[in-house]
Amino acid sequence: MSAPQVTDAQLIARCVVGDDRHAFAELVKRNQSAVRACLRKLTTGDAALADDLAQETFVLAWRNLKSFRQDAKFSTWLYRIATNCWLMHARKRKEELLGDRDDAIADEDNDDMPHLNESTGDHARSSSLKLDLERAMRVLSEPERAAIVQCYHNDLSHEEAAYVLGIPVGTVKTHVLRAKQKLKLAMAAWDPQEGTAIQ
Amino acid sequence: MSDFGTPGSSAATADWLDRVLADDARDHAGDYIPDDGFTARVMTALPAPIVAPAWRKPAVTALWGIAAVGLAFALPGAAVDVAREAFKLFSARPFALSEIAAVLAVAGLGTWSTAYYAWRRS
Repeated sequence: MSAPQVTDAQLIARCVVGDDRHAFAELVKRNQSAVRACLRKLTTGDAALADDLAQETFVLAWRNLKSFRQDAKFSTWLYRIATNCWLMHARKRKEELLGDRDDAIADEDNDDMPHLNESTGDHARSSSLKLDLERAMRVLSEPERAAIVQCYHNDLSHEEAAYVLGIPVGTVKTHVLRAKQKLKLAMAAWDPQEGTAIQ
Repeated sequence: MSDFGTPGSSAATADWLDRVLADDARDHAGDYIPDDGFTARVMTALPAPIVAPAWRKPAVTALWGIAAVGLAFALPGAAVDVAREAFKLFSARPFALSEIAAVLAVAGLGTWSTAYYAWRRS
């Protein structure tokens, strides 16, 4: 795959100086997949909500492009806006989300998803693990989930994650640590020492 | 996660959850979400560009013209006085042809660059 002929910085300059919407469209095309994937992870798979938030993210990016100092990568700056959009949305619907989460957890406890001890082969086991991970992510608080998504899914360093989340590096580490403790509890069945799926 | 500050990077290999999270991230890293009209939706959601109305330029030109005519009527002797004083200034000191050419060149350059800048901005 060849490198893009025009860099992100050049496209941003065109947008800022010349109000060039074609340049911005190119930036959206280049980054839409990563931003939407990040938001899908944050919304634990709600693709429609993730796309709405991604659209909001890019509109906000367009409005605030002049304030982008290029002290981080453009994609990292977009992650920052996307995460803020998601957090704002989550705060607005906090009570509703809390209610839904309780219901969802209760529902999930009752449904008949494939269980870990079933000998359904590697593929089924892997799918089951992913499903369990997605469910476990719902248990996390918003900042914890955001920290895990930025550090693992988006492959950012703690410093970059701190920039994206707008919090100190130490707080990011704390969120990651707590999130992992909660995930371990929620996914205890997958712990090799517990004697189940991952061998 | 990148190499800086990887949570438990040295111990990560032994941490099953790290492995699960890393595998999940790796699985999704290669997944490209097709655009499917997303960019077009974003572009239509952007705020409309601020376009100056077509009548603005002629209106501004007309207003400047009116202001100049008004000034000429308000100060009828001013233009003549300025011209007379300028003539006196220039006639008191003989200018070389090259100096006059340089002044004209600078004035022309200034006028044209201002005009170009104004048109480009608009």
